[in-house]
Amino acid sequence: MSDVLNTLPPGAENISLGGFNQFAGPIWRLPAEGEVRRFALVVADKHMNGSGSVHGGMLMMFADVSMSQTSRAVSGAKSCSTVSLTCDFVGPGKLGEVLVSSVRVTKQTRTLVFMSAEIACGARVIAAVTGLWKIG
Amino acid sequence: MTAPPGFSETNLVDPFELHVGPIFEQGEKGARRFGFRVEARHVNMRGIIHGGMLMTFADAALGQAAWDACDHANCVTLNMQSQFLAPAKEGDWIEVAPVLTRKTRSLIFLRGDFTVDGAPIYSVSSVWKILGQD
Repeated sequence: MSDVLNTLPPGAENISLGGFNQFAGPIWRLPAEGEVRRFALVVADKHMNGSGSVHGGMLMMFADVSMSQTSRAVSGAKSCSTVSLTCDFVGPGKLGEVLVSSVRVTKQTRTLVFMSAEIACGARVIAAVTGLWKIG
Repeated sequence: MTAPPGFSETNLVDPFELHVGPIFEQGEKGARRFGFRVEARHVNMRGIIHGGMLMTFADAALGQAAWDACDHANCVTLNMQSQFLAPAKEGDWIEVAPVLTRKTRSLIFLRGDFTVDGAPIYSVSSVWKILGQD
């Protein structure tokens, strides 16, 4: 784990503390940049598909966790539920790469949060995601 | 945590699918049904299946269907749209019969309605690219 920490930007905090998050993770919370909330995944062997890229399921898992965390943070609710999630798979992520999910809130209502997330390795976009969360 | 009678384990290759699996299947190529049993490692802190696990199962099951549809050529997910209709919990058996909406020379359109005991819990539509075809 210390090797992984060395590859992450400073201030990274492990948020995969139990259940499927821990089993499929770890996913890290990074310091926010203005309105953009950021999360990181260091691609490990278990995250791969048979073609040597990050599995699409793991990318959607990463998006789901980063957007769920954001919906909880902006709403103050203890839990939020994913209602819908749409993912465009733009390019492959590779073993050992640090992928960053940058989440923006498009609109928040009393009961819903609309968000978008871009998953990238540096300037290279891996996935473009939009989603809708129910508060509470 | 076994599968219902008539289901056999799907032959998985992708390391992430092997990590979260097994998944099971029933039926012939092009008309396979897929299922998996929700275990403790698949749920979130509220005891409900993690959305990431459902989307991974969808990618795996519809990926198998896409593979059937293009005669076992390599294909990749271009887009997946997921709707989370109702929660599933540990012990539930989740099943899907992927539907081939359309196939072109280079693209495959697939959808799936996922159920627990016949009740819909999750719905997906997806687009796949057959590699090597423009």
